[in-house]
Amino acid sequence: MKLKVVSKILDANERIARENEKLLQDAGVFAINLMSSPGAGKTSLLEKTIRALSGSLKIGVIEGDIAGTDDAERIGALDVPVVQINTGGACHLDANMINEVLQEFPLRDLDMLFIENVGNLVCPAEFKVGEHIKVMILSLAEGHDKPLKYPLMFQESSALIINKMDLAPYIDADPAKIRRDALSLNPSMKIFDVSCRTGEGIDKWTSWLRTLIS
Amino acid sequence: MHEVSIADSLLRIAGQECGKGGFSTIESIKVSIGRASGVMPEALLFAFDAMKAGTIAGGASLVIEEVPVSGHCSDCAADFSVEEAYVLCCPLCGGQAFTLCSGRELHITELEVE
Repeated sequence: MKLKVVSKILDANERIARENEKLLQDAGVFAINLMSSPGAGKTSLLEKTIRALSGSLKIGVIEGDIAGTDDAERIGALDVPVVQINTGGACHLDANMINEVLQEFPLRDLDMLFIENVGNLVCPAEFKVGEHIKVMILSLAEGHDKPLKYPLMFQESSALIINKMDLAPYIDADPAKIRRDALSLNPSMKIFDVSCRTGEGIDKWTSWLRTLIS
Repeated sequence: MHEVSIADSLLRIAGQECGKGGFSTIESIKVSIGRASGVMPEALLFAFDAMKAGTIAGGASLVIEEVPVSGHCSDCAADFSVEEAYVLCCPLCGGQAFTLCSGRELHITELEVE
């Protein structure tokens, strides 16, 4: 016989994501799900951001990678609480993985939690983890065709960091086209041109972050 | 790759629904997958077939209904649908004041059970 069911396939994940969000909200922690391709500069951006904000904000970091602890070691060197999640092959973090590590943080002492997702421009955009906002990075060298090739992440993110802007004179990628297409997909998106290598643009990004929790 | 998580999740939900009704076998599962959901139907079928063994859906087929991306334009008041996974402007008048009506679905809609 036929059974009519209307059930969201990702319902279980969304339920746990809501639990995480409540846990973070109650502790007064603003959580940002940071997403990009591998190598776009997520960890470098976090290093710069922590250096700029650690005097005034208490920051924690969850590092998501398929394998390894390199990123957590880099962040740990800055003396902020960090937990590494190894997904063991999974291409994204999900709400349950975050739920399992949240208790390892002194949440009441934190103002902001960065969740660095697995490097991947596709799947992380599908799975809520309990974040307040999603932020994505696209490095200029990845090319200006990316917004239209991977629209979902651009639609889901509240802000886009265009990183490696110092490479602009050496490559053909057009940052104006990235901005134009990203805004067409998501008119309310905030866009920051940044170079984590030179530090250019980091101040505008960190000023915006401060406005989110004030 | 995340089609594996989605296949896992849909097998679990289907198993629960089947058990709730007191049935013991799932013969088919029908799902609606929006074209803007980020899920590739071929990859989902592959993941489903690989993961169903040993579950009460071990002999089940997965029927995927793809849902196109559609929207409503507030400038020209028309309803439209597109082939792409995204909409940059209304395909009829070029207006940018539109709301998306479908395309992000990721739903189980029907089970055939015994």
